[in-house]
Amino acid sequence: MSSLDQLKNTFFDECSEALQQIEGGLTDLRQGHGSDDTINAVFRSVHSVKGGAGIFGFDSLVGFAHVFETVLDAMRGGTLAPSTDIVDVLLPANDVLTDLIAMSRAGEAIPPNYGQESRAALERLLGRTESDGPEEPAPADFDGLDFMPVMVGDMADAPAESAGDGKQTYAIVFRPQAEMLRRANEPLFIIRELQKLGELELTAETDRLPHLNEIEHDRPYIGWTGTLRTDARREQIEEVFEFVTGDCQVEITLEEAPAPAPEPMPMPVAAPSAPAPMTAAPAAAPAASLPVHQAPSVAPAAVPEPAEAARPAAPKAAATTMRVEVEKIDRVVNMVGELVIAQAMLGQIVHGLPEDTSSRLTQILDEVIHHTRELKDSVMSMRAQAIGAVFQRMPRLVRELATKTGKKVQLEMHGENTEVDRSIIERLGDPLTHIIRNSIDHGIESPAQRLAAGKDEEGTITLSAEHRGGRIVVEVRDDGGGIDPDRVLKKAREKGLVSPDAVLTEDEINNLIFMPGFSTADTISDISGRGVGMDVVRRNIQDVGGRITIKSERGRGMTLQLALPLTLAVMDGMVIKVSQETYVLPMSAIVECLRPSRNDIHNLVGGRGLLQLRGNLVPVVHLSDLLDMGVENSESDERVVIIADAGDGTRLGIIVDELLGHQQVVVKSMEESYGAVPGVAGATILGNGRVALILDVEKLSELAVTQTYSFTGGRSRNETALAN
Amino acid sequence: MPIAAALKVLVVDDQNSVRQMTRITLEQIGVRHIHEAENGVKAIDTASTQPLDLIISDYNMPEMDGMELLRAVRGHPAARRIPFILVTGRGDRELVVKAAQAGANNYVVKPFTADILKTKIEQVIGRLS
Repeated sequence: MSSLDQLKNTFFDECSEALQQIEGGLTDLRQGHGSDDTINAVFRSVHSVKGGAGIFGFDSLVGFAHVFETVLDAMRGGTLAPSTDIVDVLLPANDVLTDLIAMSRAGEAIPPNYGQESRAALERLLGRTESDGPEEPAPADFDGLDFMPVMVGDMADAPAESAGDGKQTYAIVFRPQAEMLRRANEPLFIIRELQKLGELELTAETDRLPHLNEIEHDRPYIGWTGTLRTDARREQIEEVFEFVTGDCQVEITLEEAPAPAPEPMPMPVAAPSAPAPMTAAPAAAPAASLPVHQAPSVAPAAVPEPAEAARPAAPKAAATTMRVEVEKIDRVVNMVGELVIAQAMLGQIVHGLPEDTSSRLTQILDEVIHHTRELKDSVMSMRAQAIGAVFQRMPRLVRELATKTGKKVQLEMHGENTEVDRSIIERLGDPLTHIIRNSIDHGIESPAQRLAAGKDEEGTITLSAEHRGGRIVVEVRDDGGGIDPDRVLKKAREKGLVSPDAVLTEDEINNLIFMPGFSTADTISDISGRGVGMDVVRRNIQDVGGRITIKSERGRGMTLQLALPLTLAVMDGMVIKVSQETYVLPMSAIVECLRPSRNDIHNLVGGRGLLQLRGNLVPVVHLSDLLDMGVENSESDERVVIIADAGDGTRLGIIVDELLGHQQVVVKSMEESYGAVPGVAGATILGNGRVALILDVEKLSELAVTQTYSFTGGRSRNETALAN
Repeated sequence: MPIAAALKVLVVDDQNSVRQMTRITLEQIGVRHIHEAENGVKAIDTASTQPLDLIISDYNMPEMDGMELLRAVRGHPAARRIPFILVTGRGDRELVVKAAQAGANNYVVKPFTADILKTKIEQVIGRLS
């Protein structure tokens, strides 16, 4: 990539940030809690886009941004009041700006009249009509504005510019380095030369002087700081250091003519304060003993002080950020993962040692564990992004869909600052978009229907995010009509997704919308239909280790809740053992673990069975059967049943031999090496250095269903049917 | 005659891309010593601690805009004499007049070419060699 291309990319990244600012600001204005600062910030963002676009030659972008900016400028200046009507023109204008930026970034040709409608609306706000023709381009320069030239370099030393006697005061820092002495250059001579130029006041810095017996004769320990008041030019001062540049640290800074001196602070000069070592360091130290304070005492105010202290205190830097490529951070994340594994291995070895040897080790290991965890958290937080990055796209979506469907919808967003791992954010956009499309298309009723139902004409969709119990919970709530269970059930039966005689609870009916094949032609409208159903949404969420649940209140609306893990790289897992093999089950999928008595399990054909659990029947399978391990299943009472949630509310009991414990595991993908293996989500390395497979509960459940219950003809709702 | 390669220039802009483009433009003119600052606070810090021959600052920046920076520089004992060129958008004549009154030495309208920038710099500090 050429450097210009890289710069363009940087510019487009900046544009994305600017667009978010604009969208956020306009939304605030629309909701009536904007201020002058909001308008200013929006203006600045549009202006930045325009400025950069000009530099990089995106002319269509410049043209549109200019009109946009002019309207904002009028709002800033108070000639246009930020009314809802105006913001309603600005919001679509931001959409056009977004598109123009996207097209410019993609290198697509921009249709000549693109965004014309929005542009015309903006022009109308400015009181222009299309017949006025385009605005005269502003000149790139201004006539009649003359600036006085200054001479650089000379300027600093120009007698006219300095105070009274034509002398300037320079702050001098001079710190010889070892090289200088080795080249037989004597700091003393330099100081003498400086003295010849004017009034020199220096203080020796003796803080680096070591103890007498540690002094090496060829190292300079002393540096000087102070002032030189002179009529010499800077170049002349620099000349003094001509032969030692590179071998010493030199700073020459022009100081302001000293203001009427405040209380002079008497400070001891070099010689008296320099301690004894001179005799021990003949080459370096004598300089320190030189009485450099030879300036006539006319200016007692010129107090030599170390340069750092003399410098005006630098203002606190604003919070700073830097851009780092994601790959670099990912590499650190991977290394932390390896570290976690190595540390677990170390832990196992330490625990295997006799206690008298291990106690100290354990102590240190605990520290390592502590630091590793902190390191992991810090790295993860580096990868975290505010979920607002995804949320920001939604207001536009809602606006467009509302217009298309003729419905009135407002979007409320909460918790935009909730931080989520970047990898999850990237995969959240599509599902959220789809859910919101669905809500507007099928959930929110038309204004007339809403009024008839005694609701506010304008529907509300609430999008929220928060940290809850170690997960991120994202909710999309609408106050529409909710799910009509009769219709959904009828359709599911038509599609053959449910057997005609199955009796389902309302919850189960609601969950039918996630079934593959449920979303079909007659629900596909211009809006929610891209041939993508809610099953794909669920799949997407499950792919990132999340879970989706639905709550619907008929006539009142529905809520879709996405529970997402904080990160994809490290996972909470339950380590289990079957025959001699070790596996890991994601904790997120485990509902409970129990040790049922033999009577609780009703055996069916092929080692499968049904577990009587608090009045319900849950299908149970031996994991060894499911994975086709070809071992005899123990019938002992010691075996454990893990009740797992397959993601859609379906329960599956998995029989294993032993629970080895709960552990954070680093997820390693195997797909690249082995392709997708049904039932296996990935692998991890355990503390003992062995590889364990991470199981995919949903896939296991599918395997169990196809293997076990094929004789009943239905697909997955059978346990319910049996339970009833 | 100031030597372009010896000039020490500070470029102030909150947009990294624009800063880099300005740097490239300056390099085309022959400037070798270029400092950058992404906001006014950093700019003042650099201006008060580094020897500078010129500050080129954007006007449109959050928190501290170019005019505020100009005033801060002009009021700063260690930086007040540094020539200052304000980068503005098209058509903002009023701003340029204000900048001149506040002590700016010149202005340049964005987007600018290397030739324009060179002319503007030369108007401030004399012909470059």
